[in-house]
Amino acid sequence: MAENVIDISNLKKYFAEVKALDGINFSVKKGIIFGMLGPNGAGKTTTIETMTGLYQRDEGEISILGLDPERSLKMLQKKMGVQLQSPSLFPRLKVVEILNLFASFYQNPLKISNVLSQIGLQNKKDSWVKKLSGGQKHRLAVGLAMISNGELIFLDEPTTGLDPQARQDLWNVIRNLKAEGKTVFLTTHYMDEAQKLCDDLVILDKGKIIANGSPEKLINDYFKDRVIELEDMGLNNSFKERIKKEVFYNRLSFEEKKGHVLLYSDQIDKTLKSLFQLADNYERELNDVVIRKATLEDVFLKITGREYRDEAV
Amino acid sequence: MKLFKEVFIANIKELLRDKSGMFWLVAFPVIFVFIFGLIFTGNTGQQSYTIGLVLEGSSVINNNIEKALLKNPSFNIRKGSQEEEVNALQEGKRELVIIIPEIGFDLNSQYDIQILYNRDLNGTANIIISSLKEIFYSIERRLTEQTELFNIRPEAIQAKTLSDFDYILPGILAMAILQLGLFGSFQFLNLREKGIIRGLGVTPLSRSVILSSEILMRLIIALIQTILIVFLGKWLFDVQITGNLLQVFGIVIIGALSFISLGYMLITFADSMESGRGIVQVVQFPMLFLSGIFFPVEFFPSYIKPIIKALPLTYLGNALREVMVGIPAQTTMQRNIIILLLWTLVTLVLTIKFWKWE
Ligand SMILES: Nc1ncnc2c1ncn2[C@@H]1O[C@H](COP(=O)(O)OP(=O)(O)O)[C@@H](O)[C@H]1O
Ligand SMILES: [Mg+2]
Repeated sequence: MAENVIDISNLKKYFAEVKALDGINFSVKKGIIFGMLGPNGAGKTTTIETMTGLYQRDEGEISILGLDPERSLKMLQKKMGVQLQSPSLFPRLKVVEILNLFASFYQNPLKISNVLSQIGLQNKKDSWVKKLSGGQKHRLAVGLAMISNGELIFLDEPTTGLDPQARQDLWNVIRNLKAEGKTVFLTTHYMDEAQKLCDDLVILDKGKIIANGSPEKLINDYFKDRVIELEDMGLNNSFKERIKKEVFYNRLSFEEKKGHVLLYSDQIDKTLKSLFQLADNYERELNDVVIRKATLEDVFLKITGREYRDEAV
Repeated sequence: MKLFKEVFIANIKELLRDKSGMFWLVAFPVIFVFIFGLIFTGNTGQQSYTIGLVLEGSSVINNNIEKALLKNPSFNIRKGSQEEEVNALQEGKRELVIIIPEIGFDLNSQYDIQILYNRDLNGTANIIISSLKEIFYSIERRLTEQTELFNIRPEAIQAKTLSDFDYILPGILAMAILQLGLFGSFQFLNLREKGIIRGLGVTPLSRSVILSSEILMRLIIALIQTILIVFLGKWLFDVQITGNLLQVFGIVIIGALSFISLGYMLITFADSMESGRGIVQVVQFPMLFLSGIFFPVEFFPSYIKPIIKALPLTYLGNALREVMVGIPAQTTMQRNIIILLLWTLVTLVLTIKFWKWE
């Protein structure tokens, strides 16, 4: 247990009647990139801000680097770097000045030039913070978390709002942090980010952890099966009922929004055969049939029964 | 200490780069000095006071006193019997009535010069009395030194302390300090409302460092404003600064502390920049008018007097007038300072009680 950098047990946080965190448990091993994946409103920000001492918990235990943020916040603050989801920075300071200011908070900060090049803001170093674009501000906030040179870095949706190239760059920055032996706790609502970047993962939904493990393990646990997607168009209700009754599958779901029927199956041949048979018998055309591997989205869908949506922030 | 320095520098940069903030802090008081200076100085703007003169004798000295009074350009002398003049005073037709007994050459006895004035016009009366005193003392000096016995020179009497602008200049400084204290608290309100203060909560920076660096910065600004206003007044508009600058600085610091504290107290009740602005304006606007920093408040109805007496700006204005240009106030310096300190204390306690960082 000594190598756990974070230990959370039965953590609860309420905002009036809203159960933002409804008893969550997880541990983070030293030196990994740990992801917390969940849709908007799941409670990711609340988790980070409770762990870093900005909120007081209502119940449960928190141990960060062996410290309880409510008791030893001062000590903890020196050892961690935090990027908050909506970073607000002195608007009229230059990028390099605010990095300087933050560097002065810590005993052994990173070099400013080093941070500037990692977050790709060298040519913006003399711009006022308020003149930066949203993405640039976001990268600066990540830089301010890094400059602490702390052994544990919290990043709250670090890549939200970045273009694909900047996102790739930031993934590399995060991998670098890991290479230097630091532990990274990051939240994201991007499935692909969680899948590609994280060593270990929890999926959070409505204040509860609904799954945990490495991305591969999660997919394997829930899906030895493949997914067959077919278009909903032209399928009337009685035919859908027939699919439900007569086709072989492990699990079936109708995605209203995308207008697709999804069939999950671990015996894909059998499923396909019975599906086409049925179509033949009733002289139906099946449109746009796709067979694919399961992803984290399917995991989410399978567990919650809801489609995973990246609602606009 | 290094941390404090860095935060202080960051604060200064934030402020210097905020053009509208700088305007209010520096340009606005300067513009005020110019506008008021141009309006209230110069030959045309000289105010004159109507004074009732009751002469109970017609000795040579009596006559010379009368002449001296008549020669003073700011006095408009009306002669009459005691009854007539007191009536006129009661009807508001005189600022003040002066009753001079028969004054003989017996320099060993003392003569009572009675001065009657409307209690409600304390400040004006004080101004007149101080220049009357000048007149009488100069006559007395000449009499007792026995030289140039009755050569009365009115130009020696045209005391600069009578100019309206001399009254106003300390008022402008008081106003600048009021603004600095009240509007200055927006800097913190802004950091609070933007979540910057909260965000810094994940760093080792203690939030009190931010606050204390802000306070230090504002005290320094107050001193800069003082220098600006004092020297502009002195060089451009010829205001006679009678007090020493260190005393002025002392009063400025005491006043600034009490308005900084008041400012922080007010923003504890605000939950946005807008409501902060509203609250501050509601407090600042009446204070500017009721404290008598720009004009004497004697003519306000008496039910407003308790409010006037409660306002800290009244006392800052009084103190600054006295220490800068030597216009005596109805309140003693001790009282001015104690009341300002009391305000600081009370607002500080309330601020601490209701303070919110986020
Ligand atoms: N300060 C707050 N006051 C009241 N409710 C809040 C507050 N912060 C978050 N919530 C609520 O708690 C839930 C979780 O929010 P949040 O942690 O921000 O989710 P996420 O970061 O995953 O999008 C949401 O229902 C949100 O509305
Ligand atoms: Mg969030």
